[in-house]
Formats: sequence, structure tokens, C-alpha cells
Amino acid sequence: MQNKQPPRWADRLLEAFCAPHLLEEVQGDLYERYLRNERLFGKPYARRQYVREVVGFLKRPFALKRLSNEYASPSFLNPVMLRNYLKTSFRNLTKNKVSSLINLFGLSLGVTACLVIYLITHYELSYDTFHPDQERIYRLVGTEKFNARADERPAGFVPNAVPAAIRNEVAGLGTVAAFHNIESEVLIPEGTEKPKKFEHRDFRKDNPEIIVADPQYFEIFKYQWVAGNPKTALSEPFQVVLSERKAHKYFGNLPLEQILGRQVIYMDSVQVKVSGIVRDWEKPSDFTFTDFISMATVRSSQLKRGIDLDQWDDIWSASQAYVKLPEGAKPEQFDGAFQRFSKAHFPNEFKFVPGLQPLSDLHFNSLYVDNYSRKAHLPTLYGMMGVAVFILLIAAINFINLATAQSVQRSKEVGVRKVLGSSRKGLITQFLSETTLLTLVAVGMAMLLVSPILSAFQSLTPKGLTFELFSLQTLLFLAGVTITTALLAGFYPSLVLSSYLPALTLKGQSALKGGSRGYLRKSLIVFQFTVSLIFIIGTLIVERQLSYIRNKDLGFSTDAIIEVQSGRVGKTDLLMEKFKNLAGVERVSKQWFPPMGMAYMMTKMKYHGKKEIELDVSAKVGDENFIPLYNLRMLAGRNYLKTDSLRELVINESFARRLGFQKPADAVNKLLEFDGKKYPIVGLVADFHEQSFHSRIDPAFIGYLPRQARNIGVKLAVKGQQVGNLKEVLASIEREWKTVHPDKKFAYEFLDDRIASLYEKEQKTSRLVNTATAIAILISCMGLFGLATFTAEQRTKEISVRKVLGASVASIVALLSKDFLKLVLLALLLAAPVAWWAMSEWLNGFAYKVDIEWWIFALAGLLAVGIALLTISFQSIRAALTNPVKSLRSE
Amino acid sequence: MRRSYLGEFEEVVLLTVAVLAEGAYGVAITDELDRQTGRAVSISAVHAALHRLEEKGMLKSHLGEATAERGGRRKRLFSVTMLGSRTLHDIRAVREQLWGSISPQGLPAVSL
Repeated sequence: MQNKQPPRWADRLLEAFCAPHLLEEVQGDLYERYLRNERLFGKPYARRQYVREVVGFLKRPFALKRLSNEYASPSFLNPVMLRNYLKTSFRNLTKNKVSSLINLFGLSLGVTACLVIYLITHYELSYDTFHPDQERIYRLVGTEKFNARADERPAGFVPNAVPAAIRNEVAGLGTVAAFHNIESEVLIPEGTEKPKKFEHRDFRKDNPEIIVADPQYFEIFKYQWVAGNPKTALSEPFQVVLSERKAHKYFGNLPLEQILGRQVIYMDSVQVKVSGIVRDWEKPSDFTFTDFISMATVRSSQLKRGIDLDQWDDIWSASQAYVKLPEGAKPEQFDGAFQRFSKAHFPNEFKFVPGLQPLSDLHFNSLYVDNYSRKAHLPTLYGMMGVAVFILLIAAINFINLATAQSVQRSKEVGVRKVLGSSRKGLITQFLSETTLLTLVAVGMAMLLVSPILSAFQSLTPKGLTFELFSLQTLLFLAGVTITTALLAGFYPSLVLSSYLPALTLKGQSALKGGSRGYLRKSLIVFQFTVSLIFIIGTLIVERQLSYIRNKDLGFSTDAIIEVQSGRVGKTDLLMEKFKNLAGVERVSKQWFPPMGMAYMMTKMKYHGKKEIELDVSAKVGDENFIPLYNLRMLAGRNYLKTDSLRELVINESFARRLGFQKPADAVNKLLEFDGKKYPIVGLVADFHEQSFHSRIDPAFIGYLPRQARNIGVKLAVKGQQVGNLKEVLASIEREWKTVHPDKKFAYEFLDDRIASLYEKEQKTSRLVNTATAIAILISCMGLFGLATFTAEQRTKEISVRKVLGASVASIVALLSKDFLKLVLLALLLAAPVAWWAMSEWLNGFAYKVDIEWWIFALAGLLAVGIALLTISFQSIRAALTNPVKSLRSE
Repeated sequence: MRRSYLGEFEEVVLLTVAVLAEGAYGVAITDELDRQTGRAVSISAVHAALHRLEEKGMLKSHLGEATAERGGRRKRLFSVTMLGSRTLHDIRAVREQLWGSISPQGLPAVSL
């Protein structure tokens, strides 16, 4: 019989294409003919003929056309059906209020978190992406090397003389524009009256505003000109271009045309004329400048004191240069030219090799430092995206769990629908429309919540971030989130529900009980709690590290110490004398910087012992009051005496050890060579922290360098006194300051604040992790609560029977809680290694850090178990306390 | 006035169904056509014609018994309806009327 078969594939083809009502006769006829052909003409011919016939049928429309069903069901997209889906969705959501609320709340939280994080990351990633030809714009950066022994370091800035030289010497580089950041008060002359004065910007809050720029700046970065001639606006000395907003700030509502030609005074004496006005950029940019002074002004004005345009042998972060390459040019092709340029111009100790940094790198690469661009930390951004995805995932899992758990209750509905002719496609659409409805409401809630949340978390979000609901991208993102969430949450439940066999469900059996579905639900809970536990462990460790940072002995005291800038050179001593005599001031010291902070100086020192040792050491500069003021602990020797130049040195313990002294105290009275002269070590202090805990304690010395010691450290005597008193003392210090500098703003900073600012990033991380943890735990617990409610309901009969047979309330609560607790413990096992790995990575960034101890995991586990137990117990106790008669009497 | 137009192939198929009387189904009709007219037609062409004729109401059909030689599949057996029969008669009448009107000189002689 095998032999008498026509080709199988042709048969299949026919079966697939031929209309079902025609198939039997057609196939029968073909088969009959095949047998005859095989008998008469042999198998090959018969097979060929069969295929030919099949193809013949497929070419005929009548054979393909399906018969329309007499009892056809309306399409699942029919408006009538859609209305029905919507109606049943509403009914179902209002019927199961608890689970709907849980889902709604969870999804809203998830979507809100997603939206907030999207807005932040999108904002950061869109920095400077709007410039025309931006892929051709590069910043001129380089590597610098101060002398033969120093390390080569990347620099985001160039020696002042480089841009002009490079423009002439490196062929094919395109447009080159240099600019310098400056900080200055601004005076606007008002005829005969006193000029209007605009203060310095607030360094902590405001963006840099004033630059001295080449005319080419406007060829590289395109602005819209609203007044003035772009060609000549910056070509002459004493010209300035203002942004429209800044022009209005300076000159009020004067018409723009009249502002042209008006005078603006920078740096007390640099008088320039407004030659152009450009529109402000509205999109996120690091180029926040609003005052563009012509570069030609530098050589003919006081600016030349600060900016030496012919300087080759030093490098300032204010000196910036940008390049717009010609079309088709690659940045690599200039490497050789840059090397040659470097050889030609840096014959001495100081070396500089130019390089090009893409504009798109500017906002993210913290290797190249400068004065104006705010750096976003890419790994943090990616981490935040991950957090957002996980939170949304947890919310979606809640939905899946609750929906599948309730599916048994809805199996009757499915049965009836199927009997009445619903197709599986129709059912899936129905259940998906239910999730979509819920997700849409959640998205709506998220949109309402976003603005208040953004303002609440202002310290975490970048400045300038606003929520533009109706921007195309935001709407697209929201649409994407809605669709993904609805599909993610609704797809599996709808598959499960639509797969029920009506015959079974209507008979009262639920077709799928326990089995694989139970496992899925359990593994989803495990997943949720794993994520939550990872967040919990993360929070605990971050908090511990931060408290370690706050509480570890820094090696000096930070209480009630402020730092005051002396304003002008030469006024330090005068100010000090005035401060010293104030009531409430305990001690005053001339200094450069406090022991710990962002600013520090490294220098080289030589020691001629058994062999010559040369070390990079950190310099702390202060007068003889420095050590007592900061309460640095002396281990051996004495403080240096009051002098007017550097005579004696005090070193720290690390320095002594690095010099090879077994007992650090032995270093006292030895000689150190610094700047070609020898100085005696008179004392030894215990190690103290100079930088954040990210870096180790380096060898350091303390000495009095009169030229550097121009700031003032003030220790206030406020121990045990009131805050009001502190304010009074500060006010009196300010008064004294004003008598010396009547025209300047008094600025001071508490040492505590200064040290805290070193850990700004960590504080942000901590807040982020805390928030994520709270949200993750909340959503997971809501899911658990929903499930517990459901299980308790499902097992009412069982519980009642147990109670009738004598079970205690406690045993029933235990029975109901046991299953869930097992899952939480399993989650702990999974979360521990992941969290351990992630947190060790984070801690590795610190030189001084806490250990990750086992009890953290135990504590996290305990917390999770506690929270889970609390969540479940509410339901299980209620179930255990119900009167068994109620559930048993109706059957 | 013709109620319905029949193509030449449809007419031949309809006649063949009438010829075969009880046993008119796809393969048999194809074979009979081959035998009577010498035309080798494909089964699909015959099926298409049968389908059209049934739609025009000139044929009716029912499913017969299953036979082993068709792999257990049933035949669809066709028979001519009243309308089909009348149409065939109409056609024949028109043809005969036309033949009767041809003068002996009108057609060149053909030796059969």
C-alpha cells in the first residue's frame, strides 16, 4: 500500500489550500486517477501527473474559496464585541475590587517609576544632540605631562596658545574656535547714575554664563541671530554678543535694536559694546553661555592679566577649543599631525599632545574635566533603567499571578462564551482588553503623579528637567509602555483562560488545577521577592557604608569650623586680626584649604636616608594655628613655630612609613628636601583623611607657605550653645568682612558641608536605592496580599472542615503562611549571591569601606520574611477566625 | 430569449453528466469526455465547470458511498436538473432550427 501513495507534500499542499467542503471529493478524484495512472503508466508519471493536477486546482479560485458559515460569529474586532469586552472588563474589575486595586496601584507605581526614570535618562542622553552637523564637532582635548617623572593625564582643556597655532599648522582640520570661561560681576552703565550691578553667579546653582570666544564659535555652534551681524559681531575688540534672555535681564524691555551698541562692563574695567543678540537654546545643552565677549578684547584689555594667549607651558581648565571637521574627515587621521605638532611646540619639561573628543562624549566622560559641562554618570543611568524595568516587571507579575489565580472563577464565563460561539482569538482579545484598560488607567495615574514626584525628588533629578506630557517622544514612550505592559501582564492569563474546554468547565471541574500553573505562580513570586531582597540588601549595605563615612574618625575635628575666602590678595592678615577678636570665635588660622576637601595639591619631596627616596606628597598649607584648630593628633615631636616663611615641617604617619621608618616617631628631626631646600621634620601627626573615602590616605606634610595661605579657617566657640548664637557669630564675622570688602559678597562654608559634598553621588545612590526598595517591596507585598486573599478564599471549606475537626487558629495560620514563607526563603537564596556581587562591585570604589557581613543577608531575609508574614497574616488570621458554619452550610 | 448562457465546455460537461446518468462524478466525467470527444482535460477543469454549473442551478449533486480505491473518500455524484435539461433542449432546438435553415449551397460539402 505504501507504494500506492501519491506524493505526500502535494497532498499536504492540497489539504492546506483547498476549501474544506471540496476537499473530500477533489482528493478522492485525484487519488482515483493516481491509481489508474500508476497502473497504466508507472509510478513516476503518475506522481508527476498528480502534482500537476494539484497545482491545477490551486490555480482555480473556486477551489480556494471557503464556504461562509451559516452561523458565523461576528469578528472579534466588531464594535459590538468591543463594547461587550469593555463592559465585562468593567464588571470584572469592579467585582474583584481588592485585586483590581492591587493591580491598579502596582501598575501605576511601576509606570510612574518608569516614566520618571525615562524622563531623567532621556533628558541626560539628549544633551547637545540638536546641533547641526554635530557628528563633525569635536572638542580639542589632549594628554598632559608636567615633567618627565609625572604621570600622563588626560586634559579636557588646552594650553592657551594651542588653538590659534593648530588652526594654522594642522591642515584640513576645518573650523577651530577657542573660548575661555570667565567669572565676573557685570556692570551696566546708566548714564550719569550709578551703574546697575549684576553679581557673580551662584557657583552651586547657576550655570556658567560668560565666555571670551573666537568669532568661529558661531560657525561651529549655530544660534539664531535676532539682532546684529553674525559676520562681524565678534571680529573686533570690545564687542559682546548676548543671548536674548540675558539682554533683557541687563536692559529690561528695551527693543533689541536699541540694545545693540549699549555698553556692558566686565571685570570692573573691561568695557564692551553689544554687537549682536542671539536666541537662547531651549534644548538641553552644556553650552549654557549667554555672554560672548570677542577674543580680540583679551589683548587690548585687563583680561590679558588672566588669560595669556601666548602661554605654552601651562594649562588652565577655562581654556577650551572646539573643532568642526570638514565633511568626510575622520578624527584618527589627525593623530600623526598632532604628534608632530606636540614635538614642535613642547620641547621643554611640559608636554602636551592634542586629541579630539566627540561632542557626544562631552556630557558623559568625566576623564576630561572642564569648568562648565555637568557630567552624567552613564552606569548610573543604565542602572536606573534596569531598576525601572524590574519594577514594572514586578507589577506585571502581580497581574499575572492574580489573574491566573482567579482564572478558576472565570472558567464558567469562558465556557459560556465558547458555547455561544466565541473563538479563542476573541477570548484572548477580551482578556487583553481588560489588561489594556487597567494599564491605561495606570498610565493616566502615572501622568498625574509625575509632576509632584519630579518636584519631590528635585535633588535627584538634573536641573532643567521638566515634564512635557505632550511631546511626541513622551507620548510614544507611554504608548510603548502601555502596549508592552498590557501584553506582558495579559498575554499569559489570556492564553490560560482561553484554553479551557467548555465541556469540562461547565460541568464544574476546572480543567487546570495545580500542576504546572501552580509552579509558574510560585516561581513568579520567587522572582518578585528575589528582586525585592536584592534591593533590601543593597539598601542595608549602602546605608552602612554611608554611616561608616559619617562616623569614622577622620583624624581631625570638623565641628563648628567655617572657611572664609579672603576676597583679595593681601587682606588675609587684616581679616584675621578682626576675626580673632570677635566673641564666639575660638581660634583663627591662615590656610590654603582645610585638611579635607575637593581641592588639594601634590608636590615632590626628597629624603636622603640610606638611599634617596623621592615621593609624591600632598601639601597642607596653614600657619601655626592650623594643627590645633583642626585638632590634628600629634604623635611625636611638636607643632611648627610661628614664622613668616617655610622653616619647619610636620608630616603624617603614612609619610614616615613610606620613608622607611619602622617607628614613625623616628622621622622627627630628619631633613626633607623640597624645592631644592632642606627643611627639618619637627613633628608627626596621626593619619587624617584628605580626600573622600574612595582614595587611600597619601603621604602628606603640613607647613606654612605664606603665598598659598590666603584663606581663613575659623573655629567657632559654640559648644553647648544655641543655634541662634551661631547665627549671631556668623553675622558678626560678616560685619567685619564688610568693613574690609564693602563691595563684595561674604561667602563662607562649613567644613561639615564641604566634606558631605564629597559624597553627593553616594547620597544620591542611597536615595535612589531606598526609593527603588520601597517601591519593589510595596508592589511585591501587594501581590502577595492578593494571592493570600485568594488562597484563603479558595480554601475556606478546607479551613472550616479543619476547624470543625479541632484545628487551632494558630495551626491554620501556620498552614496558610508556610507555603509563602518557603518561597521567600528560596528568594533569599537566589538574591544573596547576586546582591553580594553587585554590592562588592560598588564597595570596590572605596578605599575605606565596610565589610559585607553574613548578618546583613540574615537581616534582609528576616525583614523580607517579616514583611511577607505581616502581609499574609492579615488574611490568614481572618480566614482562621471565620465561623465554619458560614461556609459549610451551603453546598 | 435564453435564460442562461452556457459556454461550449460547460455544455459538453453537462451533456456528459446526462450521458453517464447515475455514475457521474469527477473522474468518470473526465474519462467519458476523453472517450467521446478525444479531449484530454484536467480534472481541475472539469471540477471547475461542474462547480459553475451547480452554481447556475443546472446540476445538483449528492455525496455517494465511500470506495476503497479512493482511499475511503466519497464521490460527489452529479445529475442534471430541470433547468439544466431545459437549457440543453433549448440549445438543441436552436441548433436544429439553424441546421434546417441552411440551403444545400450554403455549406461546402464535407465527406465524412
